[in-house]
Amino acid sequence: MNIVFGLIVICALVLLCIQNPAATMGYLLEGTSEAVNLALKLVAVYALWMGMLKIAERSGIERGVSRLFRPLLRRMFKGESEHTQTLIGMNLTANLLGMGGAATPLGIKAIESMSKGEDHATDSMLLFFVLNLTSVQILPGTIIALRAAAGSATPSDIILPSILSTLITCVISVVLTYVFRFLWRKMESRKIAKTRAKANYEPNK
Amino acid sequence: MSQISDYVLPILLLLVMVAGIIKRVPLFDAFTQGAVEALRLVAELFPFFAAIFVCIILFRTSGLGSYLSTALGPVLEGVGIPAGLTELMIIRPLSGSGSLAVLEEIYALYGADSSIARAASVLVGSSETVFYVSAVYFSTVPNKKLRYGIPIALVSTVLGAIVSCLLVRYL
Repeated sequence: MNIVFGLIVICALVLLCIQNPAATMGYLLEGTSEAVNLALKLVAVYALWMGMLKIAERSGIERGVSRLFRPLLRRMFKGESEHTQTLIGMNLTANLLGMGGAATPLGIKAIESMSKGEDHATDSMLLFFVLNLTSVQILPGTIIALRAAAGSATPSDIILPSILSTLITCVISVVLTYVFRFLWRKMESRKIAKTRAKANYEPNK
Repeated sequence: MSQISDYVLPILLLLVMVAGIIKRVPLFDAFTQGAVEALRLVAELFPFFAAIFVCIILFRTSGLGSYLSTALGPVLEGVGIPAGLTELMIIRPLSGSGSLAVLEEIYALYGADSSIARAASVLVGSSETVFYVSAVYFSTVPNKKLRYGIPIALVSTVLGAIVSCLLVRYL
C-alpha cells in the first residue's frame, strides 16, 4: 500500500506541477472532502447493518446462515476458529446478496479474528481477501438500473454472464492463491537458507 | 427480476427480527449496541478513505489516468479487451463511483445494448474495488505486509476483465 500510494501521489504531483500548479490544493481538498462524505454515508449504512447484525448474532441465526458454506470453509480455512468461519460465511452471504454495507464490517471483523498480531497478512487472510475481491454477487442491481436508464431493451441480460464471470474468476483466483502461496513459501525458505549459509560461513573467515 | 430482488431485503430483516423475538434478544439494546460499533469502525476507517480519495482525485485530475490508458490500451487489446474498456479497467480497482461514471459514459457513447457496453457491465458487475478493499480490510489489524496479496489482486482484476469480454462475445 505504501508503494502504491507513494507512486500515484508523486507521479500525479509532478504532472500537476507541469500543467496546473494553482489547482493542486483545491483537488487535494476535494479528495479529502469526498472521504468525509463517504464516511458520513457509511456511518448511516453501517449503523443500520451492524445494528441488525447484532440482533442476528445474539439470536444465533448467523450460525445457521454460515452452515451453508461450512463444508467448504472448513477445508479452505483450516486452523481458524469456528467464530472466524462463521464471520467468513456471513460475509460471503452478504456479498452474494449484494449487500456491500453488511459485507464490509463483517469482512473487517473476520480479518480481526484471524489476526494474532503478526506484521504480515497470513495465508488465510489473503485467501479470504481474494474471495472478497472476486465479489461473488447474484444480482448486480445498480448496473441493471443504470442500463435501463440508458435505454437498454434488455437490461437484465447481463445477469448470467456476470454470475459466470464471477464464478470463473473466483475459482481461478483461488487456485492462483494456492500457487502463489506455494511459490512464496519456496522463495522464503530459500532466503532463510541463504542467510543461514552466510552465518555459517562468516565465522571461518 | 427487479421485483423479486426488491423482496429480499425486507424479508431478510423481518426474519432477523422474528428470530430475535423467538430467542428473547432485547431488540432495542442489541441494535443500539451494534450501531455504536458502526461509529467506531467508520472513525477508524476515515484516515484510509482520506488517503484513497486523495489518490483517486490526483489520478484523475493530473491526467495520470489517461496517460496510463493510452499506454496500456494496445497491451490490453492483445489479450482480448477492446480499447474502449481501458479507462474502465484502470478506474475499476480504484473507485466504485468512478467506475459507474465511466460505465455511463460508455453507455452514452456506444449504446447500452452494444457488445462493448455489455462487456463493460459484466466487468463492473463481476469485479471489486480492489484498492479500497485492500486498504479497508487490513486497516484495523497490525498485519500490514500484504506479501503476495497485491500481485494476486492485480492478476485477478485483469483475469476478470478478460473472462467478462470472452463471455459476452460467446454468450
